[in-house]
Amino acid sequence: MSRSAAPSSTARSWRDIPQEIAPRAMSPVGRRRSTFRTVRTVATVVGVAAVAAGAFEVWRTWRDTPQLLATPVDSQPVRTISVQTDGVLDRSWVERVIELPEGVGLMELDLYALRARLMSSGQVASAVLTREFPDTLRVVLAERSPIVRLKAQLGGGEPREFLVARDGTVFIGEGYPTEMTESLPWLGGIRLVREGTGFLPLTGIDRVSDLLATALAHAPRQYATWRIISLNRLPTDGEIVVQSSEVGEIVFGTREDFYPQIARLDLILEQTAARPDQPLERVNLAVGPSQVPVSFANPRGLAAGEQSDARAQSLFTPFNRSAQKREL
Amino acid sequence: MSSKSRFIGAVEIGTSKVAVLIGEMVQGISVHLIGFGECQSHGVVKGTITDFKAASDAAHSALLAAEHSAGVKTDEVYLAQTGGHLEGFYNQASVSVSAADNMVSQLDIDTVCRLAKAKALPEGRMVVHHIRRPFQLDGRLVGSNPEHLVGQRLDVGYWTVHGNEGKIADNIHVVRGFNVRVGDLILSSLASGTMLTSPQDRQHGALVIDIGAGTTDFVLYRDGAPYMTGVVPVGGSHLTNDLALGLRVTEGQAEKLKLRHGRAMIATRDKSDKVWLNGDFAIGDRQFPRLAIETITSARVWEIFEVVKKKLGPAFAPERCAAGIVLTGGTAALPGMTEAASKVFGIQAHLGEMPGWVDEKLRDLGHSTVLGLLHYGLQTRAAQPQARRPRSKGFIKKLFAVGT
Repeated sequence: MSRSAAPSSTARSWRDIPQEIAPRAMSPVGRRRSTFRTVRTVATVVGVAAVAAGAFEVWRTWRDTPQLLATPVDSQPVRTISVQTDGVLDRSWVERVIELPEGVGLMELDLYALRARLMSSGQVASAVLTREFPDTLRVVLAERSPIVRLKAQLGGGEPREFLVARDGTVFIGEGYPTEMTESLPWLGGIRLVREGTGFLPLTGIDRVSDLLATALAHAPRQYATWRIISLNRLPTDGEIVVQSSEVGEIVFGTREDFYPQIARLDLILEQTAARPDQPLERVNLAVGPSQVPVSFANPRGLAAGEQSDARAQSLFTPFNRSAQKREL
Repeated sequence: MSSKSRFIGAVEIGTSKVAVLIGEMVQGISVHLIGFGECQSHGVVKGTITDFKAASDAAHSALLAAEHSAGVKTDEVYLAQTGGHLEGFYNQASVSVSAADNMVSQLDIDTVCRLAKAKALPEGRMVVHHIRRPFQLDGRLVGSNPEHLVGQRLDVGYWTVHGNEGKIADNIHVVRGFNVRVGDLILSSLASGTMLTSPQDRQHGALVIDIGAGTTDFVLYRDGAPYMTGVVPVGGSHLTNDLALGLRVTEGQAEKLKLRHGRAMIATRDKSDKVWLNGDFAIGDRQFPRLAIETITSARVWEIFEVVKKKLGPAFAPERCAAGIVLTGGTAALPGMTEAASKVFGIQAHLGEMPGWVDEKLRDLGHSTVLGLLHYGLQTRAAQPQARRPRSKGFIKKLFAVGT
């Protein structure tokens, strides 16, 4: 075929067959696919339109009244502060600490900042703040429990009383009844280190807490006489020294469980109670279960002037453990 | 799954089965096989749809199964086309090179291609494929693109495959009923031929014969391109039918006998050698001479090859078919098929072998067409828009990394 032989007509291709097909000619599966595709297309168009309309509305608001964007949620002012705690702090304390401005909206609150204020008190172990619409701020507190107290001078002010929790946190107790704080023994022989507006947590308080808890549970009468807990020899000798109203110095060892030591102490006190003329000066329970060195303040047979120079010493040996338990 | 991925389905609506393969085409240059579905075909006789609803149900079941296995929805499909209504003819055109310096321009190429393709078809016929043969410049073969070569006369020929408009439309409408677009209509023989032959085989010359259930498709390659294609409306189901008539059994029983004892070449010499129909000694079980079964099946196979050879005519020359005959399709698994083909065509024949990357469950020869649809479609897609895409460095082969 040469170039001059022009084609009379162009052959039709299979691509000329129309592929459009009416839904009635489709199978149920095809109709379902067609419907799904239509729905998807419509949903896409509607979605795009909604996004565009939203964007336009934001732009228009930004242009006309930008201050509205600063408070996107129309919340009401805080009317109620709901406080829940496992300790002694109350709503007035919370209000005093967080210092909410008058008429502040619920959505305007910076919960992180408010929580930081609450946590600045060592008495608060954890704080959870939640918004409860429309106008309530809910505060859930977990407080530290004090086990001993101490007196320290913070800055240039007068020395004041601090409480110490089991984890060593030193804090100013708020809301505790006076009789409760006065029943706590004093803590001595420690070195306080300043940190910010408070002190660094103390070490070794957990052992003190164990001792006090054991005494409170099994020998509350003895515990009530304890006045000062000294940790002076805890880092070096592993000993906790207790000064009580009955005994000048009771030494507890941290290498042995506190329960048998308190049991021995109870037995000694019971045996020496019959001799009021010989008050106990020192009981060392840290030596071990078989021997307890005891010092008397007023040894028998010595004149009053000689007592200070020649303090009699005796040794309680041995102890029957079953007897200890029975006594306790 | 990148945003540039498209999910292409390959659909073969055959006489015995409908097979669908789904591939994830990434950036139009590589495809990963991700889903496969297959079901028994209904409403299809000799590759032509005779019952639209039954064929649609079967095709849609296979499409659904493939989509379910792939977990995606198909964007478009490549559809296999076969059937006895398909015919082909060759038309050649030539132009004188227009430039004064005799350098071939793109305009010359476009003109000669347009002229070679512009031949009117009878009423009711539609072109399925225009398969271009290599260009010739002053009588010498040139590669794929003669642009900038110097010569006086440029020739090119097209093997045009055309078919009945109604039957092609039925095939397309079955898929459209699933509400998915037909992206390309690909001749079954071209699909399986592309899958089972290497470029070297095609360059040396090869004849691929795909013996399906209802039709036998063939394609003859020469000089690296399809030279001739054809469809014979005879296939494995005719073997079954012959057995059913010759042995007076049902089609189901005949199919069973064909699969168990059928051969493309007679191997039995003992006339008394008999085989059981079921082998379970139940009532109705009976014996048939093995020689009779082999005689019937081999006669039909022999006839199929003879018809193919006759259709090829002078186009088939054993000396120009150095790569031999490649047999594929479900019926090609019949024992003795390669020997029969060798005897008929006078050249060596072998069963097609799938490339190594094809998954084990798809290596059956009956899946060569559906696999080839994706392969051929990808090659065509990669070759067509080459002029519009940014130049890239010979990546088609390298990046045709099909994985399962």
